[in-house]
Amino acid sequence: MSQLHQMSGKSDATKREWSRFKYPQSLYKYGITLGVVLFIIYSLHYLNVDLSRLFGIFGRLGDLLANRYYPPDIEYIKDADYIGSIIETIQMAYLGALFGILISIFLGWFAAYNVSPSRRYLYPVARVVTMLFRSVHEMIWAILFVTILGFGMLPGVLALTMFSVGFAGKLFAEEIEAIHMGEVEAIRAMGGNHLQVFVYGVVPQVRVALTGIAIYTWDVAFRAATVVGFVGAGGMGWYLKRNVMQIETHRTAAILLSILILVIISEFISAWARNYVSKAK
Amino acid sequence: MAILEVRDLKASYSSSGPEILKGISFEVENDDFFAIIGPSGAGKSTLIRCINRLLEPSSGSIKLNGVDVLKLNNKELRHLRRHIGMIFQEFNLINRMSVMDNVLSGRLGYVGTLRSVLRIFSDKDIQNALMLLERVGLQDHVDKRADELSGGQRQRVGIARALMQEPTLLLLDEPTSALDPKISREVMELIKDIATELKVPVLCNIHDVQLAKETCNKIIGLQDGYKMFDGPTETLAQANLEEIYSMEVL
Repeated sequence: MSQLHQMSGKSDATKREWSRFKYPQSLYKYGITLGVVLFIIYSLHYLNVDLSRLFGIFGRLGDLLANRYYPPDIEYIKDADYIGSIIETIQMAYLGALFGILISIFLGWFAAYNVSPSRRYLYPVARVVTMLFRSVHEMIWAILFVTILGFGMLPGVLALTMFSVGFAGKLFAEEIEAIHMGEVEAIRAMGGNHLQVFVYGVVPQVRVALTGIAIYTWDVAFRAATVVGFVGAGGMGWYLKRNVMQIETHRTAAILLSILILVIISEFISAWARNYVSKAK
Repeated sequence: MAILEVRDLKASYSSSGPEILKGISFEVENDDFFAIIGPSGAGKSTLIRCINRLLEPSSGSIKLNGVDVLKLNNKELRHLRRHIGMIFQEFNLINRMSVMDNVLSGRLGYVGTLRSVLRIFSDKDIQNALMLLERVGLQDHVDKRADELSGGQRQRVGIARALMQEPTLLLLDEPTSALDPKISREVMELIKDIATELKVPVLCNIHDVQLAKETCNKIIGLQDGYKMFDGPTETLAQANLEEIYSMEVL
């Protein structure tokens, strides 16, 4: 006989009713679950996914790599012009990410509801701007700027800036919205203006997180930088496009290999840097 | 002469939400250590935040040294706020900055924006900060980070920071609730000594009635947004307390 049984009394206590989801909520919950499942089934049916073809892709991919792309033309990527384009790519990613992060710090500040200097004007404007930059793909930015400014590094840097703003702006704003408001209240209470509230009340709390996001932004900006050249916005993407078009598969393989190596190196450096920053006080 | 006059103050957190303060009036004199007591949810914190307009009251009037606080524009309000020191329940220090920077930040309202961003403070401010840190007994912790200190020490930093403002009024929002009883008494004693020394009136939220009786010369009791008691500490009788705490909200 359990302890609790004694509490309910010796007599047969009336049975109590309880369910986790009460009537109208339970209907919505199960309705939505059913809807999601039905849509998955419908989509799979509509796409007519052929499982045997799907399982065969690895075999055919191996075939393709072994017969057409192997061996990669290593001499090609040792060429001075190509090395120059790699350096250009790194410069583009660096500048794009740097400008993007600088803009994002202010944009994120304006777009954070809790500390935005003007909730009526700056907040909605900053929100819309971030959304706009986010919703446009980096390649579309690149095409746009190449059309306006012509070929070269400048449209690439601008496209990467837009991309970085869209990427980091929203993350910065979210990070700032999650701060502890006590410090902000204290600075406000002693007569600090908006910039002082930001520098003293907000920045010390988000410095580490923002640095982490900034490094991450550099990381994705670099990956984006390797392909914006596809549309003529500078960097190694142009070489990739040309060789793909000319069906120079061995050279393409070498270029892909060089991108892979560079991305891995950049990934390692940024992982190390983020780790270092997260340990910093 | 009354330094702070509050008349018929009403406040709520949203226009449609319930009214937290339902018409509060009181006066703080020049040498008062003024306590606001009452159960949780009575509106003590709301009241104190209305004084420096961290919260906008919905109606009523607040006069500080004859200036109508509720009529000030943003810039005038910031100028007024630098003369009102505030000490918080959770200290609200900048945890990732040093004790010294925290104390110096009390001068933010006075130094230019650019100078404050670059953390350039005048020699006089630095001397005053060191003196205040010595006064609150933290001379050995000047360069420590604020979050390395214990609760009592942190509140002392909060006191020094508020005093850096050279305040004409001190607002205390439950300054001792996060501290143990012994430290609470020490901190209240320290605040009282310094307030007397510098002749600064104090308006203090406190839920420890015993501590309020020990330190304050005047008390108002709030209950559910109404003022239930107003008078010198000696006149607060058991019957008043029972009335103030009779109906617990929340």
